[in-house]
Amino acid sequence: MTAVPERGPGRIEIRGLTKRFGSFTAVDQLDFTVQPGRITGFLGPNGSGKTTTLRMLLGLIRPTAGTATIDGRSYRDITEPLTVVGSALEATNFHPGRTARDHLRVLAAVAGVPDTRVDEMLELVGIPAAARKRAGGYSMGMRQRLGLAGALLGDPRVIILDEPANGLDPEGIRWLRGFLRHLAGEGRTLLISSHMLSEVEQTVDDVVIIANGRRVAEGTVAELHGEPTAYVRSSRLPALADALHRAGITSEPRDDGLTVRSGDLAHIGDIALAAGVPVHELRADQTHLEELFFNLTESDEHRNRNRSGHEAPPETLPPGELPPPSGAPVSTAAPSQEVDR
Amino acid sequence: MSAAIRSEFRKFFTTRLWWGMAIAVFLSGAAFATIVGLIFTSNALAGQAAGALPRTDADLAKAVYTGGIQIGYLLTLAIGIMMIGSEYRHKTITSTFLATPRRGRVMGAKVVTLLGIGAFYGVISLVGSVLAGAIILTLRGHSAFGDASIWRTLALSLLVLGLWALIGLGAGILIPNQVAALLISIGVAWIVEPILAAVLAIPAWGEHITPYLPSQATSATLGTMSAGINGQPVGQLSWWAGALVLMAYAAVMAGLGTWRTVRADIS
Repeated sequence: MTAVPERGPGRIEIRGLTKRFGSFTAVDQLDFTVQPGRITGFLGPNGSGKTTTLRMLLGLIRPTAGTATIDGRSYRDITEPLTVVGSALEATNFHPGRTARDHLRVLAAVAGVPDTRVDEMLELVGIPAAARKRAGGYSMGMRQRLGLAGALLGDPRVIILDEPANGLDPEGIRWLRGFLRHLAGEGRTLLISSHMLSEVEQTVDDVVIIANGRRVAEGTVAELHGEPTAYVRSSRLPALADALHRAGITSEPRDDGLTVRSGDLAHIGDIALAAGVPVHELRADQTHLEELFFNLTESDEHRNRNRSGHEAPPETLPPGELPPPSGAPVSTAAPSQEVDR
Repeated sequence: MSAAIRSEFRKFFTTRLWWGMAIAVFLSGAAFATIVGLIFTSNALAGQAAGALPRTDADLAKAVYTGGIQIGYLLTLAIGIMMIGSEYRHKTITSTFLATPRRGRVMGAKVVTLLGIGAFYGVISLVGSVLAGAIILTLRGHSAFGDASIWRTLALSLLVLGLWALIGLGAGILIPNQVAALLISIGVAWIVEPILAAVLAIPAWGEHITPYLPSQATSATLGTMSAGINGQPVGQLSWWAGALVLMAYAAVMAGLGTWRTVRADIS
């Protein structure tokens, strides 16, 4: 029908994408690119517009303005979409009375793939035993795996997953990481949304962070980590700051010590020794992506619009302080308050 | 399009709904044919209300075989509603539109599938009603297949069931809550329409509108009698006009539903 080849490299381009529901702007002038053959994490707190963006990309929601294309074409214009783009949006999209196998067979009829492929996919995601059980009795983890099987059914070049780690236990998350890496290793393009950076930090190559429907950061994981800093304490801080300054290293006071713009601890220690300044503590700052994510999405201008603007969220940490070492920042960990549309 | 149709058929036959419905359709067809057959052939009734009874064996056979059609078309109406209602309720509409992003094509596939499913249940219903009805008629000394027009009625009842399924499809989209859609549609067909017919019987111009009501058009299509509130037969359209009216209802409802589905945001 069309001269454009069905199987392009798999580049996703979002340009000026905007969606308003009445007076509420869910997605606001969003721009980003997902490079072919890479895993891109699409991050933001609950209600920041991730799901709306993905649904616009997949032709389910009509954008108010802007475009979302896959290899230059909108989803609706792809002739056999399941063989080009595989997606799993929610783990609840199953008829409770239909078995996993039959759910996939319904899709297989459209994708034009044989039933043997259905059984292969169930095997691949590790739920062959559930194939003939009705989906109503599935755990969240099984639903996620079934969704993944559906996304892979047409052997697509591009895979789009919305919160694939939701509801998975730690073992399931580890399995998912390995699985996504495996898919990327086959040269596929992956776009994975999450409201928890820690879930995807070890998996993704690139990161797009949005807050309140606007992009607040985009880049590789390494870029977002930024330049390393160290923390040093001393009984003679001014002298130490002076010595560092003479060595061309900037620093600024923090708590009862200094934040030093360098990751080279040995060099800092040598400078202190040469200046005769006693050092009480010297450590590298954890450049925690989680902290960056938290700062980006919780700064005053990006404060979550879904909460009251009058009082500060009660559990918000003071600025500059590290979030808890594991898990989500407390103020975004509210899955029951899911307001994604 | 044929892939989308195959997918729709797979959807329908992979839940328990279809065989539950099949049993209900078969039993109601057989039961109503039996009841109608026994009543219309009883000697006690013949003297009293002769005007409201079928006069020929052919009319009698049609009335008996389509005795359960009112239940039958309510069931296919419900199937039409659930065809789209359950997709919204269980959010499977998302994966449906991801597989076939051209939504008009999805709706077209649903229309074709529902016509097929309506005919499928029509066959099941007729197996029940003709089996039971022919036995009663023969036992009471009437001819079971006396006239060719009986076969036309049987064939048209398949069409009728398919068309009511399409009316349901439209209702299922226009009323987003599946349970509400079922209650409202069945309420309209069983309660509102008879009341409307009764009200329309009062003014003189009412009799020009009544034949165009859906269940009146259904009776006209099947060539069966429908009694007015006073027991007198009301004016009816010819069978093909009745069929056209019913098709118009189906087209309007399915068309409105499609128009709305194509535009809706699926979130």
